[in-house]
Amino acid sequence: MGIESVALATPSRRAGAKLVVEGVSKRFGGGEDVVQALQPIDLAVGAGEFVTIVGPSGCGKSTLLNIVAGFETPTTGRAVLDGRLIGAPGPERGVVFQQGALFTWMSVMDNVAFGPRALGKSVTEAREIAGTYIELVGLTAFAKRYPYELSGGMQQRVGIARALANEPEVLLMDEPFAALDQQTRELLQEEIRAIWRRTAKTILWITHSIEEALFLATHVVVMTARPGRIKAAFACGFSREADPLVATTPAFAEAKRTIVALLRRESLEAQRQEAVN
Amino acid sequence: MADAVETLTEDLPPARRTARRDRWLGLASFAVMLGVWFAVTGSGLWPPLVQPAFLPSPVTVAKTFWKLANNGYQGHTLAHHFLISLMRFGIAFVVCVIVGVPVGLLMGMHSGVRAALDPPIETTRPIPKLALLPLFIIWFGIGELSKTIVIIAALFPLISISAMQAVRAVSVRRIQAAQSLGASRATIFRRVLLPASLPGIFTGLRVSVGIGVTMLVGAEMVATSDGIAWMALTAADFIQTDIVLVGVLIMAALGYGLDRIFRALETRFVHWAGRD
Repeated sequence: MGIESVALATPSRRAGAKLVVEGVSKRFGGGEDVVQALQPIDLAVGAGEFVTIVGPSGCGKSTLLNIVAGFETPTTGRAVLDGRLIGAPGPERGVVFQQGALFTWMSVMDNVAFGPRALGKSVTEAREIAGTYIELVGLTAFAKRYPYELSGGMQQRVGIARALANEPEVLLMDEPFAALDQQTRELLQEEIRAIWRRTAKTILWITHSIEEALFLATHVVVMTARPGRIKAAFACGFSREADPLVATTPAFAEAKRTIVALLRRESLEAQRQEAVN
Repeated sequence: MADAVETLTEDLPPARRTARRDRWLGLASFAVMLGVWFAVTGSGLWPPLVQPAFLPSPVTVAKTFWKLANNGYQGHTLAHHFLISLMRFGIAFVVCVIVGVPVGLLMGMHSGVRAALDPPIETTRPIPKLALLPLFIIWFGIGELSKTIVIIAALFPLISISAMQAVRAVSVRRIQAAQSLGASRATIFRRVLLPASLPGIFTGLRVSVGIGVTMLVGAEMVATSDGIAWMALTAADFIQTDIVLVGVLIMAALGYGLDRIFRALETRFVHWAGRD
């Protein structure tokens, strides 16, 4: 148990990977207003892996996810899923947003059935699929309710069910629990871990919470402050532990300490450079 | 989860109580206005504070309404005056909805369409449309067409611009969510952009109902011999203030009634509006 430093983009990892990010960088704007959001990033995510990307706000981790989702195009480099170049959003990449992305004018059932409907399934078939995933996230009793009638945590469950209903190859999660209170977040983290174990999905998960990253992931990627690049990556065993209180163990604390120290050194360095400039 | 259900149901009784109180307050404010009207005009019980020629009492106005309803005004029944006004407004409004909403949606979705249509709409918007009525009469004659067009001219920019704003305000996240769920452009329009824009479109429609009823007065100012606003305007020439007030109250009731209808439609079809 614990974490150990690994390289995530070695040729051997890349060879069998599901999702490969190659030299992806992103620059916004032009001329004097140019902002380098992301320095070239290399990443390989294997099938069934749960990779969390943790970093300070503004480090470009959401930009990276948007590129993999196909919402943004990289300035350099490319993202590849199962050997196919990613150029646009697609149903093989399910996205769960932080909040405010549910279709407020549809019931929970219709929200979750949206994907299967969009892929050409009949209404009955789509509802059947949706019912399964609504049950998976424990909202069967609320299928006819509208999102505004649900709590924040329940809304995020709907978002997760909606993304799962298309049975995507990968799940892309952009700080899905950031707006939730601590108790709800911990509960949902346990549930997402259970869902991940059951469905063996490949997951790329953005967060600014180090605990969340350690608790959920098979691999934790630590990013630097803007312009973001990968500072370090760790293989992480806590997500395979059965103990729901694994986050209170000394090994967990030790792992957290390692990453906090890393990020702290990073931000101090960034401040020093700012002072020089 | 249980918590959420509890807060949902717990919230209801006080909210309902507030709603009931607000309904009474609304009625009370009507009653106060009516009471003041009774008081200053005397209503036959005491000498009026205001000359009846300036402000007839509610009793007189009610009697006049009854008389008009039975005998009509200037060769037409009161129902005819009311319905012709409603028709002038209704046709203009329906045309604006059928054309203005799609134009606004297109402007919101395509920057090209917006670039082409925004300047004409924005530059003509500040012009008081009533000032154009003489021109419309020269162009379209003294019949119904020029009256309808002057109302259209007033409502069209309102409705199309509110539809444009509504579609532009749709959250990018929701569109991205639909894209990543595999939705085609047509599906995104039909199941995301359109429903998400409905609250904004409804607001535009409600505002334009008020403006449209106001525009009736202008439209029926010249070259007419029927209509509720025309009735009020003609009666004013003869200082028949009781008839003027009947006309004004009917127009107020029309505007209020239409607004209530739209509010009911709003709660029925966009009950989720503003509740993210």
